[in-house]
Amino acid sequence: MPTLHVLSHSPFGDERLTSCLRLLGAADALLLCGDATYALQAGTAPFEALNTRRVKLFVLAEDAEARAVQVPDWAEAVDYPAFVDLSIHHDKVNTWL
Amino acid sequence: MKFAIALFSAAHAPSSRRALLFAQAALAGGHEIVRLFFYQDGVYNASDAVVTPQDERDLPKQWRAFITEQQLDGVVCIAAALRRGVLNDEEAKRYQREAVAVSAPWELSGLGQLHDAVQDADRLICFGGA
Amino acid sequence: MAKSLLIISRQSPWSGPGAREALDIVLAGGAFDLPIGLLFLDDGVLQLAAGQNAKALQQKDLSANLQALPMFGVEELFYCADSASQRGLANLSLDEAQPLAAEHITALIDRYDQVITL
Repeated sequence: MPTLHVLSHSPFGDERLTSCLRLLGAADALLLCGDATYALQAGTAPFEALNTRRVKLFVLAEDAEARAVQVPDWAEAVDYPAFVDLSIHHDKVNTWL
Repeated sequence: MKFAIALFSAAHAPSSRRALLFAQAALAGGHEIVRLFFYQDGVYNASDAVVTPQDERDLPKQWRAFITEQQLDGVVCIAAALRRGVLNDEEAKRYQREAVAVSAPWELSGLGQLHDAVQDADRLICFGGA
Repeated sequence: MAKSLLIISRQSPWSGPGAREALDIVLAGGAFDLPIGLLFLDDGVLQLAAGQNAKALQQKDLSANLQALPMFGVEELFYCADSASQRGLANLSLDEAQPLAAEHITALIDRYDQVITL
């Protein structure tokens, strides 16, 4: 029963990403949007954590583009129609409000 | 697919714009939205009293237009709204306040409407925070 | 069959209305006899600290509402063991809440139909 976890807070000085990675199941995926896309700043601790875990990772394209964050080849940039599809292809969506 | 969408952040939060774009994409994809539920600071999206600078995106206005055009069920949590001063005519009268900030198509109701939407929908999608 | 809903409460009881508003969702679900669970995570576990005194801040006592959860038909109560130990929580005020390790929280989320983390 895979869950799509959605994060929108910056990973710097906030524990949502850390807690989420601790609870993330093997079949679960993670969608970064808003300031959570800063987790993909190369060379940072959040970037390394995501890269090491090889999490199934999606990024809201507009948020990465607005922030000049490069989407690495192990993450997939999505638009809103793809976000809707992701929410359907997972059994539930857990947004970390 | 039937979606219930809940919004927890104020109109000026980026997540509120994200919620609207998701809702629009869901309908464009042929899906149904059984209810939009506004909780916590999300109640501010229903406020007529928000004045957005002219060169910025006017989320309360866009929500109103979206809900009206698509004939959606836009429910604002009454307890959260009262706490934040977002009253409709009936509540303003009940509490003897001057400021009326919510009118149709918005409806003030209880948290039971959130649970009801969760039961009715295939997916609950929440937006809020940053 | 009614869909089950898990509420993950992450706010401290003193950081604003967040913790109470999370609890209100749980209580409303209980009132409708819906299958509802509550997990305390991160700063949310601080809601369970023993010996808190709401009067010191002229606030309503959230602990009393938490104690009443089983009476409102909410019996699925859990807290994250890691969050509690990170915050030095030894004495908890809610006997009914079960400690869960991370992998059991993953399984818990799997078991519920929908989830709200706030």
